[in-house]
Amino acid sequence: MSGNNDNMGKAVKDFLAEAEEIVDQLSLDLVGLSDCADTGDCNPDLINSIFRGAHSLKGLAGMFGFTEIADLAHNLENLLDSLRLGKAELSQTTVSVLFDSMELLGSMVRNAGTGVSDTQGIERAVSRINSCLSAPPKADTVSPLARLGISDRILGALTEYEEHRLLENVKKGRNIYSIHASFSLMTFDQDLGELTDLLKQGGEVVSTLPSAGGGLDAGIDFEVLFGSELETAAVTLLVDKDNVIVTCLGGAGEVAADSTVPAAVADGGETVSAPGGEATPGADNSVTAKSFSRTVRVDIGKLDELMNIVGELVLSQSSINEFVDNLRRDGHTSLAAGLSKTAKVLERKLTELQKGVMEIRMIPIGQLFEKMSRIVRKVSREQGKKVELKTFGADTELDKLIVEDISDPMMHIIRNAIDHGIEPPDERISLGKDEKGVIRLSSFQKGNHVVVEVEDDGRGIDVERVKKKAQEKGLIGPADVLSDREAIDLIFLPGFSTSDTVSEISGRGVGMDVVKSNIAAVSGMVDVESRLGSGSTMTITLPITLAIIKALIISSAGRTYALPITSVLETIMVENRDILTVEKKEVIQLREITLPLLRLDRFFETTGMSDILEGFYVVVVGVAEKRLGIVVDDLVGQQDIVIKSMGETFKGFKGISGAADLGDQRTILVLDVGGIINEAMRGNA
Amino acid sequence: MKKILITEDSPTMRSLLASTIESVDDYEIVEASSGFEALRLLPREKVDLIITDINMPDINGLELISYVRNNPNYRHIPLFIVSTESSEKDLEKGLALGANEYLVKPFDPDRLLELLRTYLA
Repeated sequence: MSGNNDNMGKAVKDFLAEAEEIVDQLSLDLVGLSDCADTGDCNPDLINSIFRGAHSLKGLAGMFGFTEIADLAHNLENLLDSLRLGKAELSQTTVSVLFDSMELLGSMVRNAGTGVSDTQGIERAVSRINSCLSAPPKADTVSPLARLGISDRILGALTEYEEHRLLENVKKGRNIYSIHASFSLMTFDQDLGELTDLLKQGGEVVSTLPSAGGGLDAGIDFEVLFGSELETAAVTLLVDKDNVIVTCLGGAGEVAADSTVPAAVADGGETVSAPGGEATPGADNSVTAKSFSRTVRVDIGKLDELMNIVGELVLSQSSINEFVDNLRRDGHTSLAAGLSKTAKVLERKLTELQKGVMEIRMIPIGQLFEKMSRIVRKVSREQGKKVELKTFGADTELDKLIVEDISDPMMHIIRNAIDHGIEPPDERISLGKDEKGVIRLSSFQKGNHVVVEVEDDGRGIDVERVKKKAQEKGLIGPADVLSDREAIDLIFLPGFSTSDTVSEISGRGVGMDVVKSNIAAVSGMVDVESRLGSGSTMTITLPITLAIIKALIISSAGRTYALPITSVLETIMVENRDILTVEKKEVIQLREITLPLLRLDRFFETTGMSDILEGFYVVVVGVAEKRLGIVVDDLVGQQDIVIKSMGETFKGFKGISGAADLGDQRTILVLDVGGIINEAMRGNA
Repeated sequence: MKKILITEDSPTMRSLLASTIESVDDYEIVEASSGFEALRLLPREKVDLIITDINMPDINGLELISYVRNNPNYRHIPLFIVSTESSEKDLEKGLALGANEYLVKPFDPDRLLELLRTYLA
């Protein structure tokens, strides 16, 4: 539009980000809709907010030329419009059509611009949406609103939707009130927010019309239309403010409950100004007033840049400390003391800055849990199983990139839990279990890690069956003796699936091996525990962030490397005689496991062999369920490092994930533990 | 420089409108992300033209139009609605309340600029 490609590209990005947010919010709202669809008693604000989302999406997609998204959003909007205006019936079928369309919309937004298009899927969705609409609309009736004596000024500014809501309130026999409030221009939004929050405890706020406050520049008046079962006195008590006047326009019992013209409507003039006294909360159908969050959308790349700068500042700061030492050595003690004091202040502030930048990247894992609750509903519906999702620790915070990266693996774990874990209702009853299965999704912080657990109360993993399957697939030999633990870990092998019939749900070509490697890609680990007959627990351990990491600095054969602490499990002292050789490979026995050893000089084929010592250190590292011992000459210490990419030249160089500055003008390599373990397991080391 | 108030809850749509207007002519943009914000901005900024959406979370565009047209301080300000065609009845109501023009999303940028030039000449 501006003819500037950069601007346009950014605008499209902004659009896609906003579109994704809208779809996420809508899917979440649909969960709420699904809960109330059976009773038919849905909060009108909820349906209206879903409608508004689809409406915005349509307008935006149209502007940016994403016609397929705009079309589907348009069809959804039609259906939602009919729902909110009471022209279509809300049922579980409708909710399921909405869910599926929203999921499709989500994938279209994610694939926008890639040229990938699911034309058939869209056609199917549109025809399903239209079939929900084909129910004959309720006959239009003569509006009974005219008799309420609402001023033309208010009626004229009601949207079609607000008019419908007003009518619904009248039909339900509620009293209709006009509530006049005067506020200062400085604080009106807060004051009005408080007023509507109070009102929502006792009924429905239909519309809010502003008008100039008595000709005063500093004031503003509002005319709030309110439908409630409460009597005038109770409403007056509810709002309890000097500047608020409650007027009853028409009442319960006086307006016929059917859609025909109502009988006589109240005299429309009973005015009571609010007296003092305690406010009494009304019916318990309080509505959450969504606050308008004050947020800024930032490209995460910019945060990475900031983080890099902070990292460099930390390094400069540490060279000041060296300078202080030099000064002191040369006898300038008072200068050194002054500088050292300043350096301390700088250090403290830098730590705060670093923490601040880190926090910007953090989002509560609850956002992921919400996505999962959709999956649970969808999959359990498809499978005819009853499943309840319980979530704990939704406010645990995690790097946004990590949350995004584990979204797919989590989804698969949940699908698996429902598909393979939770039994069908009749089977559960015959086992003496509650017919409703439970999936517990919990998250908590543990040191520098966040742990996410997915626990189900289903049938658990049948170890014998796993072993048998692994033998059939040739993954283990018939003579192999495996502990239960090792047997359960077989499910992480590529190509492993115990399901006898490949179901539509889990049989999507994604196995636990992919889940594991996706989690390992963000330096996470996954463990599984199972109790036959009573369920399994998947434990995912993740670093809190990837941007700045604590590293263990080690030296091996004259070279210094950094090992991300998140992958380090323990450090042990080993003597030469502890080393055993199995199939020409060095191993040590570490408690109950046999730990393969790796020597970095051999791995990187560097020269400068370390001295043959009697004893040396072994750093035990682990990614997912794999363990490896790295032989090192010395442990230098722990340090925060900012990993920097080494560019295209070193891409594909196995075992190195980047470089980091140590602050003393030295740049060292950061080891890619996952890569090293994979290479070592393949026998390349 | 003429000042235009854009009231629109979608940040993307808002910045799209703003960049369309700013790209060509010498107009100053004031953005409101909700009807409330527009109410607060009106007495502070001397606005020459208002562009508003209809579906917004706090007060809707119709209520904003009614407010503007019933307030002697703002009654004369030209006002455009930018909304989708699905709210046809609402668009009609908006015109009845005194909106001068309406544009249907996806709007044609050239048409918007032409209208602006006409009303702000």
